[in-house]
Amino acid sequence: MRDRLLILSVFVVASCGLAYELIAGALASYLLGDSVLQFSSIIGCYLFAMGVGSHLSQYVKDERVLDTFVEIELLVALLGGLSASALFAVFAWSGESFRLTLYALVFLTGAMVGMEIPLVMRLLHQREQRFAELVSRVLTFDYLGALAVSLLFPIVLAPRLGLARSALLFGLSNVAVALWTCRVFRAELLRPTVQYLRSLLVLLVLGGGFIAADELTRWNEKAVYGDDVIHAETTPYQRLVLTRWKGDLRLYINGNLQFSSRDEHRYHEALVHPVLGALPWARRVLILGGGDGLAAREVLKYPHVQQVTLVDLDPAMTGLFSRSAPLLALNGGSLRNPRLRVVNDDAARWLEQHADVFDAIIVDFPDPSSFALGKLYSVPLYRLLSRHLADNGLAVVQSTSPYHAPRSYWSINATLRAAGLATTPYHAYVPSFGEWGFIIAAHRPGYTPPQAYRVPLKFLDREATRQMFFFPPDMRPWPVEPNQLNDQRLVHYFEQDWSQVIR
Amino acid sequence: MQRRDFLRTAAALAGLPLLAGCQQVLGWGLPVEVLRPGMATGHRLRDAATLPPPRSERRVDTVIVGSGVAGLFAGWRLAREGYRDFVLLNGPEPDGNAAAGAFDGWRYPTGAHYLPLPSPESAHVRALLAEMGVIEAGSDSLRPTFDERVLVHAPDERLWRDGHWHDGLLPRGLGADDDAQQQRFLLHVKQLQQQHGADGRRVFTVPTALASQDPAWCALDRQSFASWLAAHGYTAPGLLWYLDYCCRDDYGSTLAHTSAWAGLHYFAARGGHAANAEDGAVLTWPDGLNPLLRHMRGRIGPDKQLDGAAWRIRQHGKQVQVDYIDATGAQRLIARRVIVATPLHVAWHLLPQLTGLGFQRAHLPPRTPWLVGNVLLDRFPVEPASQPLAWDNVVYGSRSLGYVVATHQLIRAALPERTVFTTYHAFADAVPAATRPWLAAASADALFEQATADLYAVYGPRLRRHMLAARLTVRAHAMASPQPGFLANPGLAALRAADGPILFAHADLSGLSLFEEAAWWGDVAAQRVLAA
Repeated sequence: MRDRLLILSVFVVASCGLAYELIAGALASYLLGDSVLQFSSIIGCYLFAMGVGSHLSQYVKDERVLDTFVEIELLVALLGGLSASALFAVFAWSGESFRLTLYALVFLTGAMVGMEIPLVMRLLHQREQRFAELVSRVLTFDYLGALAVSLLFPIVLAPRLGLARSALLFGLSNVAVALWTCRVFRAELLRPTVQYLRSLLVLLVLGGGFIAADELTRWNEKAVYGDDVIHAETTPYQRLVLTRWKGDLRLYINGNLQFSSRDEHRYHEALVHPVLGALPWARRVLILGGGDGLAAREVLKYPHVQQVTLVDLDPAMTGLFSRSAPLLALNGGSLRNPRLRVVNDDAARWLEQHADVFDAIIVDFPDPSSFALGKLYSVPLYRLLSRHLADNGLAVVQSTSPYHAPRSYWSINATLRAAGLATTPYHAYVPSFGEWGFIIAAHRPGYTPPQAYRVPLKFLDREATRQMFFFPPDMRPWPVEPNQLNDQRLVHYFEQDWSQVIR
Repeated sequence: MQRRDFLRTAAALAGLPLLAGCQQVLGWGLPVEVLRPGMATGHRLRDAATLPPPRSERRVDTVIVGSGVAGLFAGWRLAREGYRDFVLLNGPEPDGNAAAGAFDGWRYPTGAHYLPLPSPESAHVRALLAEMGVIEAGSDSLRPTFDERVLVHAPDERLWRDGHWHDGLLPRGLGADDDAQQQRFLLHVKQLQQQHGADGRRVFTVPTALASQDPAWCALDRQSFASWLAAHGYTAPGLLWYLDYCCRDDYGSTLAHTSAWAGLHYFAARGGHAANAEDGAVLTWPDGLNPLLRHMRGRIGPDKQLDGAAWRIRQHGKQVQVDYIDATGAQRLIARRVIVATPLHVAWHLLPQLTGLGFQRAHLPPRTPWLVGNVLLDRFPVEPASQPLAWDNVVYGSRSLGYVVATHQLIRAALPERTVFTTYHAFADAVPAATRPWLAAASADALFEQATADLYAVYGPRLRRHMLAARLTVRAHAMASPQPGFLANPGLAALRAADGPILFAHADLSGLSLFEEAAWWGDVAAQRVLAA
């Protein structure tokens, strides 16, 4: 009976060993990418460490074999069980030491697991089992355990429990083996009570971890994003992360906040309505960027708008915002509206390659934070844009903050003018962004802001609109140069502006 | 070789506007195409293969032989002036050193890739740019306004040194003395930009034909740039590396083999300004200078451009006979005037009467071989945020000339999904006669290794993972190098002055392989045709 128990423990021990290896590999591929490299290097490191462990097992004295086995079980339980949570935490809090921690953990776990089987074999051998039978039974259960986990892990455990909880579950199994060994072999252990107490302590830690695992993961992701992550996706173009905290839905692209559902209406109403409210005859509208469908939602409020063309590069982005229920609730299903056509293409290339003319153009490009993005705020692009703008149409450009980034904002204004457009700058307060700026551009001067809106709005009315077009003394125009592609002043302005804001 | 074999090969080569290279796969799986434009046809011509009797004979007022910058510019000028009775023979190397290619729509240069802001003296180039819309306003002013899309976008240059990128190509921070010498040199050449000779002309101009003939300044041509630098106390290694790089980049020769006049000309002649860019800005397109040539071809019209390689040019009294070979066989053109717009080492074999014009074999300018590599990448390599990928990327201390990025001038909301890096290597260090047999016989792997040496130095082997294909263009006689004494070459002077039935147009006439020089001689030849 006792021998059978030992053999059973081999099954559990082998399962756990393989599980830690798989979890480390999955975690590394998930966080670092390049899964072939991650899996093979982790398996290699793990197998090598097992060899080291097997080698070290010879130094365990015969009389201490059972005690050592229990101790090793508890160590494996702790190391392996907490591995996923610990690695998550290291990645979230100090990204740099992640690889080092990963391979150190894999190596230590591997070495411990490598000691287990030789120790069990010695235990059985001490108990006068026939060697041939012993080897055959131990290895049979060893490999059976591996088979069980290799199927269970990807099909059931990883999808149902997640990596952190799966690891903790296997840790708990290791503790169970230790506890069981303490009970059954109490008489043969040198220090049974101590081992017993140790096992209970580890059980407590891992059990607590198992219950708190969700909290732990959330805490780690919060360290990265501040809120609960409800969707994360890496597309060929960008990393999209959607978070929610008490009903506040936020979208981050490459770690930069795109909107918060608390106040996005302010941003999008300010972006869309000064233009569309002044164009009661507008039929055709172009939106560049804005794959979240929020600007489109505002545009589609106007029944006279017959066709909206939305050009956004990333099909994953427009796909997400036309599928996910909370996002559909936010954008009112605008991307599924029959009056709207989604084009997944590079907006600048699309402008180059098409000739369609629009009554209103809404430009919601990312901020000019790099040389590549700075080109989207250039005279050639604005000239291209003006070729797509109807004779008496209006365009509006998201133009960074006239308060926090005055050089950038007024440089964009100067660039639009250099492209031969008449501009009308305005701004609105969006709590998550601060004071934000927009610029209306037209072929001819003479734009007047709407006095009233015929569509339901939350933020804008006559008075709020009037204020948007008023620049108080601390937001007066700056004498800056237009952005030219050969020096890209705007990118330097932008850097200069924000380096003074971010502490 | 059998005549029929020869005919078939030569016809195939002459008839194909874009030469098919030989497609190979490198040891690690990258498909590589090696192009040796003009080689097979050129070597047959050199080996004096004879043509069968012509199948056709056509009379035309003027024939332009060759479709590089000089030939096309001559044709462009003729067409622009309303002169219609001419044809242009494309030759085995269409577009010459300003040729380009494309990987599935991703265009790249296989030769020259930029044009400095043209100075007022380069009115001929300005006229072309204005017609193209590249100069938007003020073509005749000191500072024209250029189309921003064509002015090289920031960041334009960076230098890889000690495992990091540095802004600009001058190696700064190599010590106080080096920095001071660099500063002194820049000031020195800035003064030379305004220097006038005794005849009242600027000493250094593009085109060189308009430069001062003052013997006191022409004497600079008698020494090498290296010895001039030493005599003027320019000894700092950083500065000397930079100047050597410039000479190899523009002339294909090292400091020791470059005429001091030419070395200073590089820095002092480029006096162009722009209303909307700083001095020293350059014009570039994804496929280098090729759009200029496409524009000129458009103006000339397809009906005047013949595919075919000239084989023999002979003057009979007041007529010139041009025998050439095309896909169907040998043909003959009989013209009143012929503009020979081929490199002079080709003209040497085309024209048995060249010596009669005062040009001897010894007058052929020395030519440097070049290797141009184009690598298609499925993504951009990771670059440091502080020094992002520039248009021109150079490795300090390297014997190659770095790489340019073909997609740099695209305006895109996101990084293009693919890009092409174009690498340049001038074989300035070895004797050309030793390099050419190697270039003709080298395996694709060896050429690839040479062409990508700088990419390897910067990105290491991991860049291979992103490579989808490569094309290597071997230009074994790429350009004339201005060695000491080149200004006084009497053979070149004779060809420059030729105004009979046979005219010459090529950058070789200046001894400097620059777009403006080639265009200048094309323009001069066209004006001579128009004047008669």
